[in-house]
Amino acid sequence: MRLILLALLALVFPAVAQEDMPAKVWLEKMSQALKEKEFKASIIQLQADHIRPLVYLHGKVNNQEVAFLEYLNGPPKNAVRVGNRVTFIEHDQPAYSILSNHIQGVWPAAFSSQMSDLEVGYQFVMGGRTRIAGRPGQMIRLLPNDEYRYGFQIWLDMDTYLPLRYDMLTQDKQLLEQLMVIELIELKEPPSILQEAYKQEWPAVIDQAERQDGQNWQFSWLPAGFSVVVRDHHRLIGSHEAVEYIALTDGLANISVYVARAGSTPLPEELITRNGLSLVSEKVGNAEVVAVGKVPTETLARIAKSLMLE
Amino acid sequence: MDKLGQEWVSAAVDGETDVQTMAELAADTHSHNKWRNYHLIGDAMRGELPQTMAFDLSASIAAAIDLEPAIVSPQVSAPEVNTPVAPGQIAVNGRGSRVVPLFKQFGQYAIAATVAMFAIVGVQNFNQTADDATSPSPVLITRPLVGSASPVSLQTGPVQQNQSYTNDQMNEQRRRINTYIQDHMLQQRLNTGAVVEDNSEVIPVPVNQ
Repeated sequence: MRLILLALLALVFPAVAQEDMPAKVWLEKMSQALKEKEFKASIIQLQADHIRPLVYLHGKVNNQEVAFLEYLNGPPKNAVRVGNRVTFIEHDQPAYSILSNHIQGVWPAAFSSQMSDLEVGYQFVMGGRTRIAGRPGQMIRLLPNDEYRYGFQIWLDMDTYLPLRYDMLTQDKQLLEQLMVIELIELKEPPSILQEAYKQEWPAVIDQAERQDGQNWQFSWLPAGFSVVVRDHHRLIGSHEAVEYIALTDGLANISVYVARAGSTPLPEELITRNGLSLVSEKVGNAEVVAVGKVPTETLARIAKSLMLE
Repeated sequence: MDKLGQEWVSAAVDGETDVQTMAELAADTHSHNKWRNYHLIGDAMRGELPQTMAFDLSASIAAAIDLEPAIVSPQVSAPEVNTPVAPGQIAVNGRGSRVVPLFKQFGQYAIAATVAMFAIVGVQNFNQTADDATSPSPVLITRPLVGSASPVSLQTGPVQQNQSYTNDQMNEQRRRINTYIQDHMLQQRLNTGAVVEDNSEVIPVPVNQ
């Protein structure tokens, strides 16, 4: 009898714990799951009127994280991560590697990092439960603390804590971007393709030494939680135009700020793409400040105006 | 006859034909492609494919893009994508030199080409009747570089009333928008592992440990 009671307790307790778990703990468990679990997820990505199917595999080989991302439609486009090196294999150029412990293009990097970093900009709020990809999912809202960034909704698998769906929304709840798992398979051991990937020789990490330090640009104003991650000067792809470059992030939203000599044809003062990417340009004397990022145009305009050289 | 021919090839791949049929097959050049494909399929099913397969997709994609109708106004000529071309032919393409090719490779940014999911190829201005405040906003048309070729339209703010622009200026403007958006997307890839070295007040981007 006592044994049965104990067994019952053991069964009931985790469920109760999940009921009372605050949103932040859910997100922390997600971050951990994304790093620890071995799984295969078939995902569709919706952006404006594009739908892209992709497959993401993650596992651990010899205690190193190995991940593989494949875009299923169109010309072959893959990315492989072994430890802190990500190699992009694409159809029209030789494969190249960069130092990164996250494959860009699936879940935001912030999902598998410190959740406390996001707390400055967002509030974590528990939402309802729905079934996604045949699994019960718990929704967590990331509500922006101010009007300078977009909000997010994340659905987590209640068994594994892996993300099942992710929406990016404007302030008036318009959907900008969505990533949805359609099949999630938890694996017992890393799939053979990851074991192969681990053994494979990948191209050396590209030399980023040529990213010289840029000028000491400062911002008199930045939305709370945003900080500078990179500054350098480089030439734009394609146009070879020399620019001063500053990258800003609050963990989820990424903004690029460029300072260049003003071209003979002005850029539009503001522009919004349907997947939420905005561009704002501001002419200062014979220079031009251009800000690009998935945030409201007002944010970009204010950032561009607050830029100054120290 | 053709159907019958296919069966031969299939049987031959499986090693189920006699010497005479093989000889006939060898003489039939039409079947060689099929022969190759069947072997490829067989290899794939047995998981014996080599690490890299040299399917030259790029050439056919470039050709397909060239055939696409008018949305693409600065026509990036196919030779610049991948196909080697006789030197004489480039001169014919004089207009192309004005347009900076999207796929031009150089330095660090050689890795840039497919980073952007789409490239904007056109700004179209629909408000010919400027007095109407509710007239549609100018729309940017994009062309996906990967995946399906359905165009995405982008909307510019109502601030921009660039009716006075000539065609060349419009091309130039959309090219510049393009380069900034592409560069932004490339930076997203490069920045994930980035740490700014000598600036103490700067916090590195949070990435998973």
